[in-house]
Amino acid sequence: MRRAGRAAGAALTAEGRFMRALGPGSVSSFLKIILDVVYGALWIGVVAVSLLVLAALLFSFNPSLLDDVSLSSAQLASRWPAMTGGLFAAALYMAGVLLIVGRLRRIFMTLTAGDPFHPDNVGRLRLIGAILAALELGRYAFWGIGAWLLTGVDKARPTFSLTAWFSVLVVFVLAEVFREGARLRREAELTI
Amino acid sequence: MPIRVQLDRVLFERRMSLTELADRVGVTIANLSILKTGKARAVRFSTLAALCRELECQPGDLLAYEAGPSDEPEDEP
Repeated sequence: MRRAGRAAGAALTAEGRFMRALGPGSVSSFLKIILDVVYGALWIGVVAVSLLVLAALLFSFNPSLLDDVSLSSAQLASRWPAMTGGLFAAALYMAGVLLIVGRLRRIFMTLTAGDPFHPDNVGRLRLIGAILAALELGRYAFWGIGAWLLTGVDKARPTFSLTAWFSVLVVFVLAEVFREGARLRREAELTI
Repeated sequence: MPIRVQLDRVLFERRMSLTELADRVGVTIANLSILKTGKARAVRFSTLAALCRELECQPGDLLAYEAGPSDEPEDEP
């Protein structure tokens, strides 16, 4: 009996530890680590893709720089513009995701500071929703331009992603929830 | 705000300072100043009860309604 009670107490303690909202061992601290890792990885990715774009631009102007590569200069000259365009689109996409993660990190900072309904978070969430929508539209534009300029791309048409648009809707709804939260916070501040 | 707080007048009548009232009620001077200057958006019943207890008055002595335009703050964009 005593052992069972002790076990239940341990479970409660363990549950209490895992259900913490803030501080070490909480879900938010785990999410913060993920956001930090993703943010760092994205920066590395953006820098790498930007360097590749620069290199591709350089080689597209002067394909003879790659004479040592097994591909011929003519082949390279025909492929570099497409590759440069693809890399440029990838850089734009990563920059968009970087902006989203950056705003999420700032929202998280307000959460860890104990002030999640800060008025600035409304604008941040709206920006995240707008970037998500722009990224999705950019995907269609990328495929449209690719199909128009390049042959053979038309076989791989972009699918209409309902999930992406649903995500945009969710973020905008959350932004409105935060707007109301910010209003309530302001009222609570002036409630004596 | 059409509700006017008359804390100044009641304090003057009781010859009591804001600091003393803050000590008695258990509300910070900063919050009482917000209340006194009419910047408060709401008053908790518990605060109102404590003010009435210490100032020996009724809520009506502290609050007055004056018809006029409501100055509700605009929602943030």
